[in-house]
Amino acid sequence: METRSEPIFLWRRFTLREAVLLCFCATFIVLTRAGLRLHLHMPGHVMFFTMFFLLLARGFVPKLGSVTLVGLLTSLTSVLLGMGVSGPIVLVKFLLPAVLVDLAGFLAPGFVTSVLGCLAVGVFASITRAGVSTGVEYLIGMEEEIIIGKALISAGFSGLWGGLGSLAVPAIIRRLRLNGLIDDGTEGSLDA
Amino acid sequence: MASAPGKGGLRRTLRSCEYGCQFVAHDSPVHRLSAGMKLGIGMLLSASAAGGRTPATLGALVLVTLCYYLAARLTLADLWRDIRLFMFQAALVIPLYCLVHGPAKGLWPGIRISTQIILFYLPGAVFLRTTRSSEVMRGLRRVLPYRVSFLVFVSVRFVPFFFREIADITAAQRLRGARLLPRQKLNPRNWPDLFNCLILPLMVRALKTADEVARSAESRGFGMYPERTFFSADQLIRRAGDTGTAQQGEPSAPTIRTAASNSTVSS
Repeated sequence: METRSEPIFLWRRFTLREAVLLCFCATFIVLTRAGLRLHLHMPGHVMFFTMFFLLLARGFVPKLGSVTLVGLLTSLTSVLLGMGVSGPIVLVKFLLPAVLVDLAGFLAPGFVTSVLGCLAVGVFASITRAGVSTGVEYLIGMEEEIIIGKALISAGFSGLWGGLGSLAVPAIIRRLRLNGLIDDGTEGSLDA
Repeated sequence: MASAPGKGGLRRTLRSCEYGCQFVAHDSPVHRLSAGMKLGIGMLLSASAAGGRTPATLGALVLVTLCYYLAARLTLADLWRDIRLFMFQAALVIPLYCLVHGPAKGLWPGIRISTQIILFYLPGAVFLRTTRSSEVMRGLRRVLPYRVSFLVFVSVRFVPFFFREIADITAAQRLRGARLLPRQKLNPRNWPDLFNCLILPLMVRALKTADEVARSAESRGFGMYPERTFFSADQLIRRAGDTGTAQQGEPSAPTIRTAASNSTVSS
């Protein structure tokens, strides 16, 4: 494959190609959200494809901040397309799991090719999403016992769907790497 | 001959969307407010909802929020679409309160909290229902760096593109025998087909498209300078006329840059 040095486009870290690729991941999250909201009415199901594409973004661009960028773009696009039922709070709902995936990538850079690693990160990051609505309920003055009960139910469903969505990521990343479509996860490598 | 939609049906089509929080075009006082003003009102109403605990305060807040919602010329059907998710939440919260405190003591706190949650989120729904994407985009441009707002725009712009791609890949793979019908996709035994025959080719397509978009933008000099630059044929022709050195007609884009700040033209 032809190699070329690409200028850095964003945050002194991402090339334009990487930034566009990450923004496509955000597009896929929005698309699957739109598709699922028409067909399914199960709590937490949105985390299935959200975690799938967030982890895939980490596999595509294994740099610190890549998943956070996807989270930011997803929330802004959701607001733009009128898909955030919770209004501006949707910003936090996508950013929080994204930051957690980035943090996991910082601590264990190669976790996207491990099924167990992806499952753990997927479940944990999905659970944090439930924490956002818990924060609102705490603000409103709901009793702690009820908050905990409700948060447990909501976190359970989110974690289950998020975990399921994460399971498919390692196989896809490995296949794309085998075919030379994405780089092998070495930080700083710019071209696939 | 197909019958024309009745007056009520037409009004419903004009006023309602398939799902909640979608923009609805109307000429209403709320639609005419600026995005910043709507955000301000929304934050005020949400903060009041978080603080209102007594039945009187809550009742007043319900009235004010409903007036705000209906002032946007939104229908009760729209309201139901916007709050139905929170109604499911209420169906969880009220029984939990009744379980902990008993039905007599738990019913009112459960209803109060559920109402507060709906009131907290409803102004956000009004914002989304009454604000055009372009208006939000204009507002975002003021607070976001242009490179991030470019990515947001690309993200929105490629939604229909990838929607078409998904439809094309699905049709092609179904012809090859992949189990990708909506009904089949619900069966977990068919999920390997979903990932191998749809998601994987889609990812390959995304990688190729990202490469093409990036090369195309870079060949036009996009992102080469810290400030936002754009191509302006008018300014170029005017300057070419002044110097008398440039040729007439449309110049090739890769060799020319027009900076927004100083309008310089270099080849």
